[in-house]
Amino acid sequence: MDPLLLIGAITVGGVLIGGGVHFIPVGGAPAAIATATGVGTGTAMLAAGSGMTGLITAAAATGSPLWLVLLAGAAGAALMIGITMLVGNWVYVWGVGTVPVSAKVTKDPITGLEQEKFVTPGTEGHGIPTVCFVSGIIGGLLGGIGGGLIYYYIYNGLVTLPAYALLPGQTISVSAAMMAGIFALAVFFVNAVIASYNIGGTIEGFHDPKFKRLPRGVLGCIVASIVIGIVGILLLQGGVV
Amino acid sequence: MSVAAGGGGTSSIDPKQTLALGLIGGLVGIYLVPFVPILGPLFGALGAVCAIIWGADAIARVASYGLGTGVPSIGYMSLAIGVVGSLAGIAGAVMFGSSSVLIGPIFGVVLAMIVGAVVALVGTKVLKMKIPILVRCTVELSGAAAISVIGFSAAIAGSIGMSAILTTVVATGFIGLLFILNTMAIQHPFNACLGPQEDRSRTLKLAASTAFMAMAIVGILGIGVSKVWWVIAIIGAIAWFISISAFIQSSAENAASVKWSGLWPEEEM
Repeated sequence: MDPLLLIGAITVGGVLIGGGVHFIPVGGAPAAIATATGVGTGTAMLAAGSGMTGLITAAAATGSPLWLVLLAGAAGAALMIGITMLVGNWVYVWGVGTVPVSAKVTKDPITGLEQEKFVTPGTEGHGIPTVCFVSGIIGGLLGGIGGGLIYYYIYNGLVTLPAYALLPGQTISVSAAMMAGIFALAVFFVNAVIASYNIGGTIEGFHDPKFKRLPRGVLGCIVASIVIGIVGILLLQGGVV
Repeated sequence: MSVAAGGGGTSSIDPKQTLALGLIGGLVGIYLVPFVPILGPLFGALGAVCAIIWGADAIARVASYGLGTGVPSIGYMSLAIGVVGSLAGIAGAVMFGSSSVLIGPIFGVVLAMIVGAVVALVGTKVLKMKIPILVRCTVELSGAAAISVIGFSAAIAGSIGMSAILTTVVATGFIGLLFILNTMAIQHPFNACLGPQEDRSRTLKLAASTAFMAMAIVGILGIGVSKVWWVIAIIGAIAWFISISAFIQSSAENAASVKWSGLWPEEEM
């Protein structure tokens, strides 16, 4: 495989992942005690959950055309973040007893419902309101596509090498799939954490004022992903003795 | 997500000591694997333990500034960089000729440190993070992560060559386990001990216990591959017991008092 194609795929995938994180309602520690909007954990945990699910579903489509791998990755990651947000909302609504509400906007941009008077004084909202949920699904789709893209190109690059080649009777090369999977996961984590640094740990979604920092985060992800892509070339050029 | 303290506090441990322990101890351990017959993998695992203690000290220094994203995030990121660097380094060493397997680990550690430096520079220059030691500590963390991954991989595979690691660590999926296992071992000690009364020597006792716990698990992963898996597992378990006892003892000594409060009264239940 052309090394530049691999670097390009890793860079585009990294940008999709880093950009996707900006859409996900990461609430952090304040959300864990229902005093801020979003899922009550950090970006690294959400990246681990939805990123790994996306890569597993993308890997399940190994050997399929590119669009199917991307679709599988996007579906897996979006489904996982969706389930996380839904179950989180159950806990916020029926466990904590708060209304899912955003403190960053006065009216929900999607449903048009009033937000302001439902925010408990002294807090920055609770739970995952509609706009955050939709934003989170978009983020999951973007991240899943990015992870799937990286997985697809590394797998197809590796499988041409003798050490990773298909054995008779095999339809997928397990060692190439594992190597591509762990590499894509690593790119996922690096870009998720860079995006997390950019948003200062918490964000509500595309309606949050912090979302304007997206270009800066994307620039950071481009630089980091290009360097990781160059390092990744060694996997293909070096090989196995 | 945890909110760390205002940062820059004095540490009771000199960072140079942990750096020397991790870098020299880790690399010596890894390089003993191909040269010491039979017991080689044990030294690889011990090298990884040294690297984890180094990484736990580095994460304690950088995360005491308050990253805004919690302690685990930088741990996951550095292990991601460590995995990328170590696998690319071990595979890429072959480019210098088929007899150059031995430069693989050092090449991997250097690659990880370079990627770590780039990511940290992105943090300070592009994202304008105001943590003065971010670059230095991310480079140290990435190096520690790479050494810990290579050390444990060599302990399972019994070799530092790519073909053995590929079949016994990567293709079996253990690399994913090592990713999370080493992240936990490196980030947990400071995440558990942070606060105004954080004492670095106590934090590093916990780091030793998490590292040896990981080593015991790595020993079990070597069943069927390594002949000395049981030695690694038993030494890891014994050392875990010693280090966790030391940690609990120093926690009890540093506490104002330790009392069992009892359960809440019956009528309030």
